[in-house]
Amino acid sequence: MKKALITGNRGQDGAYLSQLLLAKGYEVYGADRSGDSGLWRLRELGIESRVKETYLDILELTNIMDVLEKVRPDEIYNFAAQSFVKMSFEQPILTAEINAVGVTRMLEAIRKVRPAARFYQASTAELFGSTGSAQRNETTAFHPKSPYGVSKLYAHWITVNYREAYGLHASCGIMFNHESPLRGEEFVTRKITMAAARIKKGLQDKVHVGNLAARRDWGYAKEYVEAIWRMLQQPKADDYILATGRSRTVREFAEAAFSAAGFKLEWKGKGLAEKGVDARTGRTLVEVSKEFYRPAEVDLLVGDAAKARAKLGWTPSTKFKDLVALMVEADMKRLEIK
Amino acid sequence: MKKALITGITGQDGSYLAELLLEKGYEVHGVRRRSASFNTARISHLYDASSPKASRFKLHYGDLTDSTNLTRLIAEIKPDEIYNLGAQSHVAVSFEEPEYTADCDGLGTMRLLEAIRLLGLARKTRIYQASTSELFGKVQEVPQSETTPFYPRSPYAAAKMYAYWITVNYRESYGIFASNGILFNHESPLRGEEFVTRKITRAMGRILLGEQRCLYMGNMNALRDWGHARDYVRAMWLILQQKKAEDFVIATGRQYSVRKFIELAAKELGITIGWKGKGVKETGFVKAVNPAPGVAAEVKLKKGDVIVRVDRKFYRPAEVETLLGNPAKSRRVLGWKPEVKFEQLVAEMAASDLKLAQSEHCLRKAGYGAVKNC
Repeated sequence: MKKALITGNRGQDGAYLSQLLLAKGYEVYGADRSGDSGLWRLRELGIESRVKETYLDILELTNIMDVLEKVRPDEIYNFAAQSFVKMSFEQPILTAEINAVGVTRMLEAIRKVRPAARFYQASTAELFGSTGSAQRNETTAFHPKSPYGVSKLYAHWITVNYREAYGLHASCGIMFNHESPLRGEEFVTRKITMAAARIKKGLQDKVHVGNLAARRDWGYAKEYVEAIWRMLQQPKADDYILATGRSRTVREFAEAAFSAAGFKLEWKGKGLAEKGVDARTGRTLVEVSKEFYRPAEVDLLVGDAAKARAKLGWTPSTKFKDLVALMVEADMKRLEIK
Repeated sequence: MKKALITGITGQDGSYLAELLLEKGYEVHGVRRRSASFNTARISHLYDASSPKASRFKLHYGDLTDSTNLTRLIAEIKPDEIYNLGAQSHVAVSFEEPEYTADCDGLGTMRLLEAIRLLGLARKTRIYQASTSELFGKVQEVPQSETTPFYPRSPYAAAKMYAYWITVNYRESYGIFASNGILFNHESPLRGEEFVTRKITRAMGRILLGEQRCLYMGNMNALRDWGHARDYVRAMWLILQQKKAEDFVIATGRQYSVRKFIELAAKELGITIGWKGKGVKETGFVKAVNPAPGVAAEVKLKKGDVIVRVDRKFYRPAEVETLLGNPAKSRRVLGWKPEVKFEQLVAEMAASDLKLAQSEHCLRKAGYGAVKNC
């Protein structure tokens, strides 16, 4: 039986990947910091008791080495990160310690303890920042726009470097935005779907968002972890872009979410004064707030996943509207259960 | 009087830059790490009380891995300009110490930027970040300019890439005057002895006088764009005097192999080198020796002696084969042009290290008892 070690196992991607690997017959070790935050995701997927918990903090090399020696994994997936862009402007050093230096520690530990293990590093579309409107592929130059993006860029290259310098089977997936009902509540998509559900149930008045014009390439996380697994099954380690190739604005996301909750959104005003109002009642449901703008904005991100399609045979199929509806439905259901 | 803060003051560039800024009338503050081994040899002439500039030159203990320390220094000094030259700057060592290299070279830069922002100095303090041609690593185009995509090939380069982009990010996010100088290799008699150029000139002087038998090398085919550090620190200063913060490639635009560097260094001392064999078997031998009259009496080196060999341990886990800079932008915008040619650079280093070898030779012969005469 193959063994997989997943760091950041209680995050969105870790949870879906655990589910996938369990279904494939893997023994799955979830490596998280102590505490119970995020356990709800494993619980919702019904896999809480099947994932073997092991404590791992990516800030501590000896801890990582110890876990690798005990678990002896065949595959290691690194999802552990301070993954929130806005927060990285507040805590740039911690973000770098975890996202950047943490990966060096992982790679060093693998090189020493499990050099034959295969390694996946979660890279991100934020590496590209936004320059021009062209689709990004694996050869597009990077221009990160946040301490988060810079830290992930370091992690990307140190992974490439350990592959080239030491022959590790180490691959990076440059993932464009990927969402799901398990997305963290601080991210704009989930914030909106949750608000739509709560407003529908009369539990919330309205929702405040940042840049409505920001465009993103949004896919379904559950499909993305399939590509991640396939990357580690390749004979040769390589880097791949994972994306849908289509982009929508935050504004469109809000429209779709409120529509799934039974509202029809109309937009009034411009810039910071722009509002999303309920077409039937005229009630304001969405407002713009400066506090959710980033110091340096990333306006547009669209990925070209041609390489993943050709080499991994991977194509995402969930449509944007269906993804948003899925998220709103899940948030509605959670409110009903409560 | 303008105030400058220099991290890495004890290094080659720190020393040349301090000299330049003192000459321009700056008050210069240098950050040095506490070390059990003496590390101020390159700057002792600047803080020596007999130096007329000593009153404008101050040293502080500090460390790029210590946020509190950096923030306090910047708060106290309130510098107009910060030059971040401090780093674990050796590529091969970065494979041994990747985490420390990331902490010092990558996060260290952010700690400085954060301090500037936190202290409300974003409009006052300009910062120069010492970026490096190692960012280009496996080069994506030839020659490399400000628009060439990076491809780092070592933990050192990855850490420096972090520093490069976080500098750009703080400029874009907070309007800090923060600029990168992407400096190609720059050498001098003050270069650290663990770097290949200095290792070569040190060895040649010692080999000539019989203080060392052989020079052990890594990849001699590596091509580099080499300039003189004194020229390059002038570019650093110019970068911070611009109206707008921008990034610049600083290079000569000419490229030579490590082998060529060895040949020229040997030639400067009157040694003609021939090459035999390939790869790790390659050797460099003496084809002819014609030392200068001043040292000839002490030279026992003879034709046929093997003085260069390859040792695999000096290969990097991932090689950077070629680096060649395109300095067009720095010439156009900064009006900067290197003055020292490659041949002059090698000659200056070789001559300086011959002197060092002579005093070693003299000391050894005299049984280390004749310091005065050596």
